[in-house]
Amino acid sequence: MFKEYFAIAFRSVVAHKIRALLTTLGVVIGVASVILLMSLGNSARTEAANQIRSIGSNLIYVSISDRQGALPRTWLDEIQDKAEITAFSEMISGQTSYLVDGSNVDVSISGVNQYYGFVSSLDMTGGRFLNEFDVQHNLPAVVLGSKIPDLLFPNQEVLGNTLYIKGMPFTVVGIVEPRGTNFSGDNDMMIYIPIDFARTMFPMGGRFKTYYITAASEENIDLTMNRITTYLQRYLPSSNQSRIFSQSQILGVLDTLMALLTTLLSGIASISLIVGGIGIMNIMLVTVRERTREIGIRKALGARRRQILIQFLIEAVIITTLGGIFGLIISYIGAQLITSITDFNVVLGWDAVLLSLVFSITIGVIFGIYPAMQASKLEPVEALRFE
Amino acid sequence: MITIHDITKRYEMGSNIVMAVDGISLDIQEGEFVAIVGPSGSGKSTLMNIIGCLDVVTSGTYVLNKIPIQEYDQDELADIRNQQIGFIFQQFNLLPSFTAIENVMMPMTYAKVTKKQREIKAAELLKLVGLEDRMDHKPTELSGGQQQRVSIARALANSPAIILADEPTGALDSKTGKEVLSLLKKLNNDGKTVIVITHDHEVARFANRVITLKDGKVLTDLPMEEAYV
Repeated sequence: MFKEYFAIAFRSVVAHKIRALLTTLGVVIGVASVILLMSLGNSARTEAANQIRSIGSNLIYVSISDRQGALPRTWLDEIQDKAEITAFSEMISGQTSYLVDGSNVDVSISGVNQYYGFVSSLDMTGGRFLNEFDVQHNLPAVVLGSKIPDLLFPNQEVLGNTLYIKGMPFTVVGIVEPRGTNFSGDNDMMIYIPIDFARTMFPMGGRFKTYYITAASEENIDLTMNRITTYLQRYLPSSNQSRIFSQSQILGVLDTLMALLTTLLSGIASISLIVGGIGIMNIMLVTVRERTREIGIRKALGARRRQILIQFLIEAVIITTLGGIFGLIISYIGAQLITSITDFNVVLGWDAVLLSLVFSITIGVIFGIYPAMQASKLEPVEALRFE
Repeated sequence: MITIHDITKRYEMGSNIVMAVDGISLDIQEGEFVAIVGPSGSGKSTLMNIIGCLDVVTSGTYVLNKIPIQEYDQDELADIRNQQIGFIFQQFNLLPSFTAIENVMMPMTYAKVTKKQREIKAAELLKLVGLEDRMDHKPTELSGGQQQRVSIARALANSPAIILADEPTGALDSKTGKEVLSLLKKLNNDGKTVIVITHDHEVARFANRVITLKDGKVLTDLPMEEAYV
């Protein structure tokens, strides 16, 4: 019997192709935007997670405000073993700018020690990172972010060349692989110099001292963080004088934030699904009215109320499901387009396919039920009299 | 087969109360060919709707094949219409987007007959009414007489005991009208009970018994020969 309903409903949809297409446009747009936004959000989350994970998930950041100088300068050396710290580096950041093709380009300067390359998992495309010798003897060596060479040394040998930073000559010893942009800015527009240079260049260095720390293992990262916190509290009792957080905490916050954003955007997009559903209801009411006589004939010849109800409900569901399929196709095309235009990889998963079908069928049932009930309730005598 | 006892049908139109059927009693036996005649407003359409189980009585009883119709609900009445009654309408009432054979198959769909059997039976019936070469035509591609023959085939789909025809020749010219009536006569000769509702006495002459209505009451109920002397 269900096959018959489908045949009947399908026939009437095909008989009104243009109308069905226009009717379902709302569902098409709704499904396409929800699916696309959700996939976009999920891809962004995966991307961000991968990017951060590549830096290392046993990375800890400590930021300290110590204007009185209460904390010993070598505090990390003191607790290195007890807190199971593999390596660490303080970082002093500043900015400088260069004139390139008549306009100023900002470059971030990071003063770090020889361990920073390891701590931040920097890979080199050429040369080497700063070494112990550079840092201890305060030699003017510089390591460049991946975008710097093309910018400041176009068509030149870069390694061994001289870069002037705040008027001081530095020798380029290494170039870092592309890292992309994250919460600390564009990593590829950064240059790294021995920390003591940065200390003299930026004596005000900001209120905060920043440390990058690698815990010995990812599993014991909580222990490391606890030890550091306990130690810091001894010198800096006020809780707002020090902040400590791990890479995975940032990852968690970022993930929650993106998930929220994705849900929010999909929620807004799903309003169009509801609008689409109202369109379906409207057209189904018109259809029921137009086909009053057909309903009368069917009832006179033995259709039960439920059979009429199901016939019209299936018709609504067929229209919305077609809309869902079209929407899915459009979001697939959209995803391919975004992937090819940007360097962002948008993947449409099976969950998207399933979800769009569930959405469209649900919309069909919700907004089709009322018109179908109207149809099923018609009195055969009245319906047969309808012109 | 049909026993109607003192039935009434009352309509309220605003403050007006209309007794469309006002105390009709009649018996119709199996195999009869009955014409119900009367001018418009005589209540013959209302009576047809009641006999056809499309409408329910206000008071009185209607027993069809031992079934007390007034005790049944809408869906059960749908089943009774499907199984017991074959309808033929003045305007044919075929579904325009379906072919002749699909229209004939429709009542069988609601009777849950399998597709294969529906096709066989529908083809048989269309052959019976002489439309075996028009099976895949849509109603708009058929003449009025052909359309009415499709609807006769449809009326026979579930082998009902009663054929109920409401002005079956009303939309046809007199020649095709006669053909349709001859077909009904033939079905009656084969044992079907046929009830024709009409205002046209030429149509009523094909019946064996003529019931004349006036103002919702039976005026005369005579064998055809006595009705038209």
